[in-house]
Amino acid sequence: MSRWSRPLFWVLALAICGQGWAQSSKGQHQGIGRAATADEIAAWDTDVRGDLKGLPPGSGSVSRGEVVWEAKCASCHGSFGESNQFFPPLIGGITAEDIKTGRVAGLVRGGDQRSTVMKLPKISTLWDYINRAMPWQAPKTLTADEVYAVTAYILNQGNIVPGSFVLSDRNMAEVQAMLPNRNGMTRNHGLWDTRGKPDVKAAACMRNCGPEPRITSQLPDHASGSHGNLAEQYRLFGQVRMAVLPAVKPVAAAAAPAGVSDPGRSLADKNGCLACHAPKQRTIGPALAEIASKYRGVSDAESRLVAKVRAGGQGVWGNMPMPPYQNLPEQELRAMVQWMLKSE
Amino acid sequence: MADPMRIRAVARDGVVNVRVLMSHEMETGQRKDASGKLVPAHFIRNVTASHQGKTVLTALWGPAVAKNPYLEFEFKGGQKGDKVLVTWEDNKGEKRSDEGVIN
Repeated sequence: MSRWSRPLFWVLALAICGQGWAQSSKGQHQGIGRAATADEIAAWDTDVRGDLKGLPPGSGSVSRGEVVWEAKCASCHGSFGESNQFFPPLIGGITAEDIKTGRVAGLVRGGDQRSTVMKLPKISTLWDYINRAMPWQAPKTLTADEVYAVTAYILNQGNIVPGSFVLSDRNMAEVQAMLPNRNGMTRNHGLWDTRGKPDVKAAACMRNCGPEPRITSQLPDHASGSHGNLAEQYRLFGQVRMAVLPAVKPVAAAAAPAGVSDPGRSLADKNGCLACHAPKQRTIGPALAEIASKYRGVSDAESRLVAKVRAGGQGVWGNMPMPPYQNLPEQELRAMVQWMLKSE
Repeated sequence: MADPMRIRAVARDGVVNVRVLMSHEMETGQRKDASGKLVPAHFIRNVTASHQGKTVLTALWGPAVAKNPYLEFEFKGGQKGDKVLVTWEDNKGEKRSDEGVIN
């Protein structure tokens, strides 16, 4: 090839490639899929970003947050967000100095019990998490104003905002500038950047590799199932926008032998009972089998339990209170209790 | 001066349930710092709670109580709007008193 024709070759090659590219993006994929509609995008785009895009208008005070907190959050997180009983504490481990510097000294020093307010670098994360995942047994039931109020309450418990504070979509950015760990986010790692430092680094060993690794100990059988069948404890909520893989289906079916068609079971699933009550293992609340065996042979067990579910309670199985479920129809309640009492 | 306590008191059926979160290091005196020196003991010794001048709870604590202690107790006879006064004193003689309103 002569000196001048070489560039020409590349130009030609590029032109051909370009044509192929244009064809594949238009012609070849015609009829496969369609553009997402604006409504679909809106339904998927539910998050609140770090720059606070996606935050709905609204506001909530610390005192309003305290009311919501006592009713819906304190049973798991403790009155002041301090509880370490079921979840790591939300509050604790930060000082006034941390709020000034924006870096939590306890995290740098290490060894302290970590809490949510210690780790949180973005206020949007807290808001978004409460909005989409809380309360545990009934996610997505809080209004935007309630989420603002609860967020304000948590910030107040962490001494980040005063008791008279009203959090709203307009002052979230100001609160961001007060977060104790706002400067604590690091980006020099593989989770942020593919060229960053990974947590583990495996180098292929070709020779002089040392002894063949072998498994010397394993979790004992009694411990490996200590949390029960996790598949049964998933909090499915609302419409699931994905297909259930065929490979997953048999597992889910095996998890609930013979009981799948029971209306009581599906109601218990629907109303979020199974988020805290697993069939056999005690998780947040007592296991269904435990309750059934406690009330076996009790003649008025059904009506007693119906009343208990309606009123909520605490102290029978431990300190963890169960919230009241006053709005459930009598018929549904009975069906669920009947199904539950059959547990073994 | 230690951070204020958080106090919540709720009256129900004539019984007042009081929850208190104190902010205190609660050093046992057995822990060593990074340089190997013993961290001196610093813990709450006495806790008292009173309602309208009458003591409703006294507690003697020691180094076995965890950092930032959480205390919950109940007493009879409190009314909505009354105040509950909680006081602690530690082994260095530091004191802190805070009030909570019953609701």
